[in-house]
Amino acid sequence: MRMIDALTRSMRASHLLVALLVAASLVFAAIGAAMGETFYLRLATEALIFAGLALSVDILLGYNGLLSLGQALYFGLGAYLSALVLMWVPSFWAAFAVTAVVSAVVGLIGGFIANRVRGVYFALITFGMAQVAAKVVYNTRALGASDGLIGVPVIDINLGIISFSSASPAGFFLFVLGVIVILYGVTAYLLDTPFGRLLIALRANERRVPFLGYRTMTLRLSAYVIAAMIAALSGALYPMLRGFVSPELLFFSTSGNAVITVIVGGVGTLAGALYGSVLLTLLKSVVGSYTEHHVIVIGLLFMGAVIFLPRGLMGIVRPAVERMLTRRSKP
Amino acid sequence: MLEIQNLHTHYGPSHIIQGIDLTVRDGEVLGVFGRNGVGKTTLLKTVAGWIQPTNGHILFNNEPIDGQQPDRIARRGVGFVPEDRRIFPGLSVEENLTLGFLQVPGRSSADSRAALERIYQRFPRLAERRYQHGTTLSGGEQQMLAMARVMIGKPSLLLVDEPSEGLAPMIVADLFAIIAEMKAAGCAVLLVEQNVHQALAVCDRFIVIERGRIVLSGDAKDKENCDRLLETIAV
Repeated sequence: MRMIDALTRSMRASHLLVALLVAASLVFAAIGAAMGETFYLRLATEALIFAGLALSVDILLGYNGLLSLGQALYFGLGAYLSALVLMWVPSFWAAFAVTAVVSAVVGLIGGFIANRVRGVYFALITFGMAQVAAKVVYNTRALGASDGLIGVPVIDINLGIISFSSASPAGFFLFVLGVIVILYGVTAYLLDTPFGRLLIALRANERRVPFLGYRTMTLRLSAYVIAAMIAALSGALYPMLRGFVSPELLFFSTSGNAVITVIVGGVGTLAGALYGSVLLTLLKSVVGSYTEHHVIVIGLLFMGAVIFLPRGLMGIVRPAVERMLTRRSKP
Repeated sequence: MLEIQNLHTHYGPSHIIQGIDLTVRDGEVLGVFGRNGVGKTTLLKTVAGWIQPTNGHILFNNEPIDGQQPDRIARRGVGFVPEDRRIFPGLSVEENLTLGFLQVPGRSSADSRAALERIYQRFPRLAERRYQHGTTLSGGEQQMLAMARVMIGKPSLLLVDEPSEGLAPMIVADLFAIIAEMKAAGCAVLLVEQNVHQALAVCDRFIVIERGRIVLSGDAKDKENCDRLLETIAV
């Protein structure tokens, strides 16, 4: 019998939970397509897109111990870049490639600024950078100012053997599901390598890591750039879904919601970001159909999670899955 | 190997190390003794790059390392086992150990695996607990893990701060046996220790620090020297 360490077992439990979510999503897409459903498929697609943003927050908060209050900067950057590219060349690949490259560069610059400090100062700097970017976008006529960019064309995403239209609710939902699962897979792979172990070591004791020969700034910067790229690539999907982008995507509410999503779902679990996003998006929509004060409900949910579920939803679910995996691996 | 010339270190306005000169040669253990608060740990932290010296020079293999960042000093082959062990919580024993690999640049994964197996042969308790979280180990096992993690990086200079603190006598004996093995393998060791009697058994030379200055030094194999040492620090 090959023994596995606790961290890998936790990661396997997360993979299983994500596989369950994917299976449920496929069933949901099939039923939605058969019934000609549009609203809930679009809503679920939005939940997946914001799950990508939450995933990026979890890399920083869960694995690096850094609370970013400005991850919307990269999400909004991805959304605006994607919208601009698509309005010029209606190609998904062009939009994704430009977003990946630019977000890596901007992430590197932002990372150099933010990673000079720790703790609450890091949170404040990330918040400040996102606010500055939001104000610039809000006041730039070329970017549509407060109205944002409208008229992003419908695109066909050709994957060779299969093609998805961004106008097809079920088709685009499946495509976004695929992208988010790939982003999750890449993130999980990276965090399950020695690089991920180093991030955990860094979170536990940043002063001790250099004595093993590692440059902490390089590690923190790498994690920050990866998180920035994941947030931006998720954001790049947004204009394909909605056909427009607005400065609100860069506002604190977007960053704050992503943090709440991760805390409700379970910090440092990755799968929690996905489940949390589905839960929060659904809740906002359902409660929002009754009252415009749905933020109060989200706030109460956040407080409840912090008080009663400090490890989030995954704090209950994942240990049970881990126990199941341990039992199965015993001869 | 290690040469320290007129070293001065401050903690804010406090002048902790006040002009220390010493050398440690290949395969030599230098014991650093003295009462609490005289600057022994500060000396190790200054060599490791944790604290920057305010004056003086630290030469390692004839190259200056003073003013360099701890990660660079570690990559040059200086291993540091601090007093509080510092096992990384959230990581298993094996993951804690593998973090020590970077100190040997260019080592293949097969060599790394072989190095890990050698460590497990030397520390069978760690092999038994390789998948357990490092923080669930006993104090002695954690100290073993901290030592093993540094050893896996094949340092040529080992800085060890109070390795026996709070540990059972059997574990302490094993720890000093490991230091003796490192010495036999050609590693230079700068050992800060309160347990003077046991430390002297592995030391080649010793220094005694008082108020940041060396007040006594000598050959650890010379009984007369050792008596003067015990008298000075009143053990």
